[in-house]
Amino acid sequence: MKKYVFYPGCVMQTEQYAYEMSIREVLPLLDIELVDMKDFSCCSTPLKSVNEMLALGLSARNLALAEKEGLDVFAPCSICHLGLSECKHILDSNPSMKIKVNNFLADENLEYKGTSNIVHTVDLLHDIVKIDKIKKAVNNPLNKIKVATHYGCHLIRPSEIGRPVDSENPQKMETILKAIGAETFDYAEKLDCCGGLLNANLPESALTKTGQKLQSVKENGFDVFVDACPWCHRQFDAKQEQAGKTIAKTLDVPVLYLTQILGVALGIKKEKLGFNLNNSPVDTLKLGGN
Amino acid sequence: MSIVDLTSMAESQADVKTEINNRLEKLQNEFSEYCYQCAKCTSGCEAHKLLELEPHSIVALLKRGLIDEMVNSDLIWTCMSCFKCRERCPQKVAPVDIIFALKNMVVARGNQIPGNYSTMLQSVLSIGLLQDIKEVTTNDNKTIKRSDLDLPDISKPEDVAKFQMFLSKIAVEKV
Repeated sequence: MKKYVFYPGCVMQTEQYAYEMSIREVLPLLDIELVDMKDFSCCSTPLKSVNEMLALGLSARNLALAEKEGLDVFAPCSICHLGLSECKHILDSNPSMKIKVNNFLADENLEYKGTSNIVHTVDLLHDIVKIDKIKKAVNNPLNKIKVATHYGCHLIRPSEIGRPVDSENPQKMETILKAIGAETFDYAEKLDCCGGLLNANLPESALTKTGQKLQSVKENGFDVFVDACPWCHRQFDAKQEQAGKTIAKTLDVPVLYLTQILGVALGIKKEKLGFNLNNSPVDTLKLGGN
Repeated sequence: MSIVDLTSMAESQADVKTEINNRLEKLQNEFSEYCYQCAKCTSGCEAHKLLELEPHSIVALLKRGLIDEMVNSDLIWTCMSCFKCRERCPQKVAPVDIIFALKNMVVARGNQIPGNYSTMLQSVLSIGLLQDIKEVTTNDNKTIKRSDLDLPDISKPEDVAKFQMFLSKIAVEKV
């Protein structure tokens, strides 16, 4: 059993419950134990446009809290994962900045030391649990369903600060999906943005990005679209109908979290994986044996 | 604490502006000589296809010192923060970082923060999270709360007053 501090961020724990439910169901079956902690805040990465220092300070505070447990951090939101990783990158390479940030943290008896690594769902499954173990845990293999993957911008870039997957040809989700019985193939728009962050000030443009990507997924003949970020998923799943209206197309693409589709292959009941919380048409999907 | 405190405390904001100016100057020194205007950044830019943002032009304008022109332009708010420009630049220039600094300057000058950014900021200032717990609709049209699901309590700052003190220091003082 390997233990991680569970850093939930904002969007997953206040709105995207299916991601959290499926994570809490799937990971223990793969010998990953999650430690819940009080007192975390927003990582403030979505507010980098307003104040970059806020993002650095809040991310450092969250990492300092997690370090008290002496464990690595599991951040399933790609935006949080980037914010925390960027903070670690800056503070570990800039001693004077680290001292300044720690002066602020001292009021709450916290200190950022740089002892915890940060993992995301995709690398936790692919690099730490590993494919062999996932294969052995499968008891309801998927029915060769055709899956389009979406990694999301913040999980793959900027590679300069270290990201869990390759920036131009990410394949770790594909490897996991093939191991559980799905079929995957690349499509031209695979690296395109969901538009999520633009929702703050240009929601129509954000929905256009979302709609255009889903339309291409549909035209490519995929059965299901799989993502691993609550911001991306909110665009593609919860806002799919609006996105369709924005680009004047009828969209009916089932959208699942990676941990939801994996959960089905591990034999977990769909209710426990939050399938009823998906707003896209996931009921029509024939995923596997049960 | 409110956004007003963050955006209009004249004296403290002077420090913030100095910090952002230093950041822009550093970016100008680091980047603008290296950029040879190949426009690879713009060719992949997610906002270019839809909203005509040109990251290579942002670098060119910074080189000429036309910072006010950019701070007063809506164009910088079309960036989706996809980081493709930073990833793909053959010269390791990061237009996205210039755009972040410019947007920070808009806020530090007390100009209107566009769209929902002020709502999100206000929420972080008051409860430590971008938004409070939401009710969601199931695919058979039922309304569900987090407490209806088998999930633990959410994690958020326990001592809000102390947290706000930390926030005001980090956001308003010169780091």
